Amino acid sequence: MLLREVEYVKPGSVAEALELLAANDGARALAGGQTLINVMKARAASPDMLVDLNGLPELKGIELASDGTLAIGAMTTYTELMRSAEAKARPILGEVCATIADVQVRNRGTIGGNVCSNDPTNHLPPLMVAVGATMTVLGAAGAREVPAEEFFLGVYMTAVGPGELLTKISIPAGKKDGFAAVTLGADGTCLANAAATVNGSVRVALGCVDAVPVVVTAGSPDGIADAVRSAGLDPPSDVHASAEYRLHLTTVVATRAAEEAASR
Amino acid sequence: MTESSSTTLAPEKVEVQKGWGGQSLKRKEDKRLLQGEGVFVDDVKRHGMGYLHFVRSPYAHAHITRIDVSAAEAMEGVYGTLTGEEVAALTEPFFQISSVPGANIKDYALAVGKVRYVGEAVVAVVAETRELARDASELVEVDYEPLPALVDARQAQEPGAPVLHDDAGGNLMWSGLYSWGDVDSAFAEADRVIEIDELHFHRFNSTPLECDGALVEFNRGVEQWTIHTNNQFPGFAAIMMGPAMQVGLDKLRFVTQDIGGGFGNKITSHPQLVVCCLLARKLNRAIQWTEWRTDFHMSMSHGNERWFQETKVAVSSDGTLLGFKTKALDDAGAWLRYEPLGGVIWAQVTPGMYRWRHIELEFTQVATNKAPVSPNRGYSRMQHLWFTERIIDIVAHELGLDPVEVRKKNYIRAEDMPYETPNGCVYDSGDYARMLDLALELIGYDGLGARREQAKANGKLLGVGIGSTLDSGTNNFGQSRMINPELQFSGNNEVATVKLDIFGEIVVTLGTTPQGQGHETTAAQVVADILKCSPDDVHVRAGHDSYWNSHAGFSGTYASQFAVTGLGAVKGATEMLRDEIFKLAGAVFGGVPAEALELADGGIRIKESPDAFLPFMACGAIINANNAGLPEDLDVTLNCRYVYRPPFQVPDVEKKFGNLTLTYAAQIHVAVVEIDPETGYYEIVDYAAVDDCGKRINPQIVEGQVMGATAQAIGAAMHEIYEYDEDGNLLTPNFYDYHVPHALDMPPLATGAIESPSPFTPLGTKGMGEGGGAGIHAISAAIQDATGKTVTNSHNPYQRVWELLQ
Amino acid sequence: MDVSVTVNGTTYARDVEPRKLLIHFLRDDLDLTGSHVGCDTGNCGACSVLVDGVLVKSCMLLAVQANGASIETVEGLSENGELTPLQQSFNEHHALQCGYCTPGMLMSATALLRENPSPSEDEIKKALQGNICRCTGYWNIVEAVKAVGK
Repeated sequence: MLLREVEYVKPGSVAEALELLAANDGARALAGGQTLINVMKARAASPDMLVDLNGLPELKGIELASDGTLAIGAMTTYTELMRSAEAKARPILGEVCATIADVQVRNRGTIGGNVCSNDPTNHLPPLMVAVGATMTVLGAAGAREVPAEEFFLGVYMTAVGPGELLTKISIPAGKKDGFAAVTLGADGTCLANAAATVNGSVRVALGCVDAVPVVVTAGSPDGIADAVRSAGLDPPSDVHASAEYRLHLTTVVATRAAEEAASR
Repeated sequence: MTESSSTTLAPEKVEVQKGWGGQSLKRKEDKRLLQGEGVFVDDVKRHGMGYLHFVRSPYAHAHITRIDVSAAEAMEGVYGTLTGEEVAALTEPFFQISSVPGANIKDYALAVGKVRYVGEAVVAVVAETRELARDASELVEVDYEPLPALVDARQAQEPGAPVLHDDAGGNLMWSGLYSWGDVDSAFAEADRVIEIDELHFHRFNSTPLECDGALVEFNRGVEQWTIHTNNQFPGFAAIMMGPAMQVGLDKLRFVTQDIGGGFGNKITSHPQLVVCCLLARKLNRAIQWTEWRTDFHMSMSHGNERWFQETKVAVSSDGTLLGFKTKALDDAGAWLRYEPLGGVIWAQVTPGMYRWRHIELEFTQVATNKAPVSPNRGYSRMQHLWFTERIIDIVAHELGLDPVEVRKKNYIRAEDMPYETPNGCVYDSGDYARMLDLALELIGYDGLGARREQAKANGKLLGVGIGSTLDSGTNNFGQSRMINPELQFSGNNEVATVKLDIFGEIVVTLGTTPQGQGHETTAAQVVADILKCSPDDVHVRAGHDSYWNSHAGFSGTYASQFAVTGLGAVKGATEMLRDEIFKLAGAVFGGVPAEALELADGGIRIKESPDAFLPFMACGAIINANNAGLPEDLDVTLNCRYVYRPPFQVPDVEKKFGNLTLTYAAQIHVAVVEIDPETGYYEIVDYAAVDDCGKRINPQIVEGQVMGATAQAIGAAMHEIYEYDEDGNLLTPNFYDYHVPHALDMPPLATGAIESPSPFTPLGTKGMGEGGGAGIHAISAAIQDATGKTVTNSHNPYQRVWELLQ
Repeated sequence: MDVSVTVNGTTYARDVEPRKLLIHFLRDDLDLTGSHVGCDTGNCGACSVLVDGVLVKSCMLLAVQANGASIETVEGLSENGELTPLQQSFNEHHALQCGYCTPGMLMSATALLRENPSPSEDEIKKALQGNICRCTGYWNIVEAVKAVGK
């Protein structure tokens, strides 16, 4: 419950934030804090320095381009995304955010933080993969675009390297999306989740089953369950679900997400 | 959408009580709590206090081979430490309730030589700030030699099982055989004997939102400790701590004010309190201890986990239950802190709500490498009542009978009351069949067939289940002698004082330690009725303080008894005060007899000439400050202390027969579940709870208790469990993994009440804080109804429901 | 680190360690003990306060992050000891028993009512989803908030 000693800096710009992250090995970006502060309370990880990204306008804002692409600042909170008129262009985004935890968490927690922590039970990693998002990663060498499918590397590990920041997530236009989950109580932790888009064929990104979202495809929603079963998955077993049960749940939520996407 | 909750009274008219008792008066406690002005233990501060952090064992079972606190003590800001070795030198082991072999275990306030569960406190570190104490704890070096861990009680007595306490010679802590009626004949005569291989009641507790805590000061001059804490049974804590610390009980002053929930889980904090006391003395400063959520989950007061094995039920083909036999295996965890009382407390409700007379139960309690068990809401009865309810539904299922009809056929009837159970307990009053009818009406039972069809059309399975439970209240501590015949405990008591102050203020002190039950309010209602004033004129002090001299050996708030013992004491003290006011007024008016006087309008007057009026203020002033000229033999102090003592005998220890609790409140719950058969995910879609706790002093407070217990039952049935892996690591050590219900998880709720007054209590009331276990069974039964499969576990998360359907 | 924080209208200047959680700063440094700690994983909501009008769990914010902010806690709801309509409604509906979750519930309800003066039952439950209560089962709390709706 009590953090180890840590230094705290509030940079005035993204450039300054990057400098701090690059210059200090033990520095971590502090986004919403809804995950990181808890990790630090448990002393599971204890950065030497926290670089507070709150209050940097460059990381905020949601823009809707004429081609329907959404550009979402990494420090956009779930609440902001839910209230954004622009984000309604891709309704699944706000719908999924509304099921994350509770009001207090949604008021501080950020889209960027959710994808960068890449906890396997998070909602956004599979959703970003399903909708074909692109992550903008900024470092001293400049910015690069990383497709969502290449962004997630391992548990709590993404393409954002030392001295870098996720600044923006771009989401192409689309509406045929679905998301389904079995959660521990209403709006609770996901035991299994899946995000789907339909664009001709069905594409489903599975969360909770591996260190990173796993993509399965099929011609139609009824083919998804088989696709999940033959994907060679070895889901984790924990106090809430055995590996076998988790795999079964995944076939169900993947199908339901696909059906929802197809029906939009 | 229907209202989320509605309250209906029973169809017949409840006797309208004139006066304050029976009214849902708004609570006095609320004003301070709503403004954030409550005083919870962590709100109490002392200048220069040291913050305490416990170093805890990472192993479930290990020898401690070395402890080195020197690095921690050298850290700036650290005031000092305490180790098990010091504790063993300074204190005696805690008194054990158990007879042999449990009696032989040596329990100290910190681990001595060995650790026996993950999270067990090994060293205490005290520092200038919370953070520094936490930091310093990382500098404490402890070397362990790990041992194999025992995590399944069913293996505890197998050859080769790891042994926790060598002093006990094995993991058996206590065992006893209970047998009443003529079990063999009953089974010989039965039309059918139904066998149930194994039923399991799981390990969880009520996780009060506020964890344990204390602020302890030591007064060197008089060698007395002031223990600000949220322990809910200071009488028990004192009895355990005094002998261990080898000090008189008056040297331990307990002070509580507001407590953030207890539910039984704040009874056994005496080991931590001893650590605080020793450190307060050693370091010559106040010691502040905050228990964090994870500490609580890992170490405090898990509820009894119990298996019922090889159960056999003797039934007639018409569904009459004749008796049962079973073997109850109870997992006590690593230490016996209040155990093995659980080994007899279940017997308060031996037959549940049913009329069977031939019962045999073999009770075995073993130690395992898990957190120590101690009381949890419904302590030891909840497990047994779930078991009896399971029998009803399993028997009904086997015989193809309606569980409603089987219950009604076998319920103890209103006309049987007071009813003596096979083991000599006396159910004071109740009408279970009527409660069941009311509950079924509230749930819309007749319409459930249509709802089932509707659900089926939507691809879901709908099921309905009943849970009936008894809330036995006001313990006879003599039952402890059935655990250990050498114990010198029996009966029960509670204390209250009521006085008129010099300006006529009515001041009440209680011996209880309320954690949200509204004692200040209900006590004021009782006092106001007797003194014919308004509850607003009655000032009830908040909390508990040993300095008030308002406590006795069993004082505290636990075991569903305030409405009987606490209010009984309040009634007694107020009647004493009332009688003294009459005597005083009689003397002041020049020898007027009591019959000619009456209380009214905040004073006392002559009935025939009401202008002759003595306000309470005058009474208080005369006795306290203006008493010359009063008759010499006038025995009036206007400061009355009353000890309520329920009418108990010492039970027959050999036959295990006798009255173990004074009152029996009851609750009957009905739950409707809707299961998604594809996933096993389910929701409670409808719920009704009916309560009977005799005369209700404040119906709204009673209903609040029913609602809260319902929510806890839902949480326990669906999600809450203290589950361990094979190495003894707790997999649910915090609220992230130990999921409790939140607002969105709550079903629509309809509540109802009837009142069967108790013939045995001063006000016709019954204690009723623990009755919600019914919900756990209602959900077990509803799942069985929906799936058609036998439910054998009290914990039914989605996976278990899905597995039932495969 | 120096921080300046306004709480319930009063500004405090203090020197705090960066690692100090806002909830501990409020309780221990400013003696505002109305907000409570009920867990250590950000689940229970007993620490809920408003920071610049936004409902947050103060156990997941560092005190230094609140520098320059305006914070509202339960102590700032009533004036001169007079209960607000929301507090009175809690009292009338028996929406508290032990009172430990109550400050957090009041802040969450306050945040809701500012934005949505007539919330439905479902909206109320959603708004209180981040606040755990073990005593009441939530039903009376939801009723109490609903009754204050216009």
